[in-house]
Amino acid sequence: MVMESQGLARVREIYHDRSHRVKQLKAAGEKVIGYFCVYPVLEMLTALNLVPYRVFGDMREPITKADSCLPTVVCPFIRSALDLGLKGKYDFLDGVVMAHVCEVGEKTAHIWNLYLNPPYFHFIDTPHTVHKAAQKQHKELLKDFEKTLELFTGKELSPGRLREAIEAHNQQRALVRELYNLRKPDPPLISGTETLQVMVALMSLPVEEGNKLLRQVINEVKGRKDGLQKKTRLLIWGSIIDDVALIEMIEGLGANLVMDDTCVGSRFYFPDVELTDDPLDGLAYRYLVELKCPRTFREAVFGETKKDYMADLDSRFSYLKEYAREWNVNGVILQSVRYCDIHGYEVPQVKDYLDSIGLPSIYLEHDYSEAALAPLRTRVQAFLEVIS
Amino acid sequence: MTKVVIMDVDGGICARVVGPTGAEHRRLANRVMEEALEQANLSFDEISYVIATGYGRLNVPFADRQITELTCHARGVVSLFPAVRIAIDIGGQDAKGLKIKEGKLIDFVMNDKCAAGTGRFLEVIAAALGVKLEELGEISLKSTNKVKISNTCTIFAQQEVISYISKGIPLEDIVAGLHDAITSRVVKMVRRLKIEPDVVFTGGVAKNIGVVYAMKENLGCEVLVPEEPLFTGAIGAAILGKELTLGAMSKGEPIPRKERRLEEITFFS
Repeated sequence: MVMESQGLARVREIYHDRSHRVKQLKAAGEKVIGYFCVYPVLEMLTALNLVPYRVFGDMREPITKADSCLPTVVCPFIRSALDLGLKGKYDFLDGVVMAHVCEVGEKTAHIWNLYLNPPYFHFIDTPHTVHKAAQKQHKELLKDFEKTLELFTGKELSPGRLREAIEAHNQQRALVRELYNLRKPDPPLISGTETLQVMVALMSLPVEEGNKLLRQVINEVKGRKDGLQKKTRLLIWGSIIDDVALIEMIEGLGANLVMDDTCVGSRFYFPDVELTDDPLDGLAYRYLVELKCPRTFREAVFGETKKDYMADLDSRFSYLKEYAREWNVNGVILQSVRYCDIHGYEVPQVKDYLDSIGLPSIYLEHDYSEAALAPLRTRVQAFLEVIS
Repeated sequence: MTKVVIMDVDGGICARVVGPTGAEHRRLANRVMEEALEQANLSFDEISYVIATGYGRLNVPFADRQITELTCHARGVVSLFPAVRIAIDIGGQDAKGLKIKEGKLIDFVMNDKCAAGTGRFLEVIAAALGVKLEELGEISLKSTNKVKISNTCTIFAQQEVISYISKGIPLEDIVAGLHDAITSRVVKMVRRLKIEPDVVFTGGVAKNIGVVYAMKENLGCEVLVPEEPLFTGAIGAAILGKELTLGAMSKGEPIPRKERRLEEITFFS
């Protein structure tokens, strides 16, 4: 019998052939549902025995088909993901869930449905503010999501099953936080590149399999003797990073990426779902209020006419100060794919905040293309020269 | 262009050489190095430390260390103008702004989208106008009514220039308009660093007197230009090399050299 590989070796296998495992599950009769971004509520899929599978782009593959149905001056990540869809690389999916994460995400959701016509499709019109009324609306929208899932599977979503799913996903979140704690020592026990590979692997597996793999990884990493070297410690903030190319480039220039605030990382995993009497309350709150993506509008004091800019910044970004302190960060890389309006508009404010707490930062804009990363090398290297 | 500066222990410049960079970086780096050694009357073994900088820094096989052009430019500019706060460098490939405090680089910006706002832009347009690159500066000084170039794309700007030519607009007014376009584009970018005097302007484009005037006008303040604006990065690299060498020697440590070779290697052999 062939021994299945374990821990980080297994992570690398999955990273390099992401859909291998879910295709096996599909062949065994399970249904796989693709989702974009962090807003679709995964617990509802898990509770109905649907396998959630995160849809990514591929920055190593030129976009050739998507430009016939999307403008070229929009998010290259979304263009790339749609391009893969149009090339048939997501044909194994039994359905797709998208949310109103940003404008391009919203438009592309309908284009995806129109051109690829998956057996199941649902669009969650996630609100863009966190006010009470929006929270209520979000819960109602999740009820609609539940209905379409029940219709698709022919099964009823029981509160008991939903609670179990919440517990399993919370377990995954706790394990990811535990893994991130292993990045706190100097030198860290696990590199930024490896961490990203783990995150990608988790988003390609059913939750329980992911949890089992995470436990193996944590044990393996904890036992490391010949780990990394001490280097400048960086935090990376910004839009989606679903390929190790950028991280490898940064770490190759003499830095350890020890913390992230991106959606294939802490932004996706850190907040838990509270187990409320009606599980939908906890889910609706976590997926709207606690996920910290700049696509959502926030302010320190709702309804105040005269704003205190620094207080506003503090209320929005003080978690970054906590990250910097706990992970002992020397500098921050702010990065965004080109044309990402939501991150682009956020940058001046994040930068002002980081300046105010004396944390050096640099802003990089890139084309979501592995080949086009080279010009960024000089900026990152110069940044490291400036801060060390 | 590839530049070499050889510096002695007191900071005196023993040699200064510039040559065009082709696709064969490595061969050219060797050739200009040999020329510089000849000028300084030194053998390669007599050089204590070599720092490579700029886009080709990874393609200098005989360098001990690579340091980015941002750090090197800052160091070079500070050595020439100790009171500098903002340095603007416009070269053939890119434009950058450096913020310097107490002689140290603290922040920087670089153009990251295209060649508009770089020396390449002027090269392309000079060719379209049928004038030599070196003549642009003097020509523009005669302008009395400079045109507005609204396009920031090199290719579209070229079309705009051609339309001005066909309208019979005097050459000097078109060239002055170009200088204004390139300068305002770079100044817009550098303003992110909050501009404070002294402002120093370097790079090949700083040799163009018309751009220097346009820069003063756009910034609304005095702009200092070194005598040899092409060499500040190489001078900075030489100073950093000298400091690393002297630092190691004063601590009684060995100089952190790499194994180096000065021989012709090409990409295409």
